[in-house]
Amino acid sequence: MHELSVAMEVCRMAEDRIGADASGRLRLVALEVGDDAGLEPDNLSFCLDALLSQPPFGEARALVTRCAGNVLRLDYLEVDDADPDD
Amino acid sequence: MPIRTIEVRERVMARNDELAAEVRRRLAQADVPSFNLVSSPGAGKTALLERTLDALGREMRIAVVTGDVQTQNDAERLARRTTRLVQAVVTGGACHLDASQVLESLAAIDLPETQLLFIENVGNLVCPASWDLGETAKIVIMSVTEGEDKPLKYPKMFREARYAVLNKVDLLPYVPFDVERAIDMALSVNPSLQIFQTSALTGRGMSEWFDFLRSQIRQHAAAGAA
Repeated sequence: MHELSVAMEVCRMAEDRIGADASGRLRLVALEVGDDAGLEPDNLSFCLDALLSQPPFGEARALVTRCAGNVLRLDYLEVDDADPDD
Repeated sequence: MPIRTIEVRERVMARNDELAAEVRRRLAQADVPSFNLVSSPGAGKTALLERTLDALGREMRIAVVTGDVQTQNDAERLARRTTRLVQAVVTGGACHLDASQVLESLAAIDLPETQLLFIENVGNLVCPASWDLGETAKIVIMSVTEGEDKPLKYPKMFREARYAVLNKVDLLPYVPFDVERAIDMALSVNPSLQIFQTSALTGRGMSEWFDFLRSQIRQHAAAGAA
């Protein structure tokens, strides 16, 4: 449940960054999770993938990178800027 | 190149921490010390608060915010012990309170008429350790019906806490709980932890707890007056 709360906050941050209209074009959400962050990275990935496969997202996936310390950071996003009509 | 990378490099807890800072600012403005009570389910958070409200409810103006996954049972229990507001937050499945819920609760509390705020978190020794609620301090409660090694199993919570309460000490004759070992383990994780030993049922050790609360109120009032 803890991981789900964090995953929901990550999705909110992603939507804030790219805008609700562009959320469907989000492809990757990259996070850094420290060994002492109090989170299980596999559980967090599972929760993120579940949320990112639902509207307003659709085709995005999570990339969780482990690191030292208590870091919990949204590192970068990847967005598909291709014209859907091309 | 159709795939665009957006650098973010932002802490996931940043928004919660901003809201926690606002909670802290409002409480400081009103000179209200606030304690976030955290424990595993059943350690006696609500019973400790019941006993505290019974003993100190007429002496000091205490407000309470309770968090539960489901039901308002704890808030209803506490509301029977005080004429002041008990705010219930039902998290609807979430395993912890967050700063936005506390901030919303503060809106209903008359802070200038409050001397002490308790936040009874969801029973869970993992998740609440990661959420700053804007409190003065976390107080972790463990009971003698649990294992002595809780501090080693949940070190983050015991590191985050400034105070610990070992509750249900009236049961010590009946359970194989080694108090000295438990305290050693707690202090090995957090050497500055101040530990109280209480029985919310019989009242044993509660006078030290009450004196601690009185001293906290005095300190905050003095800091506000300075």
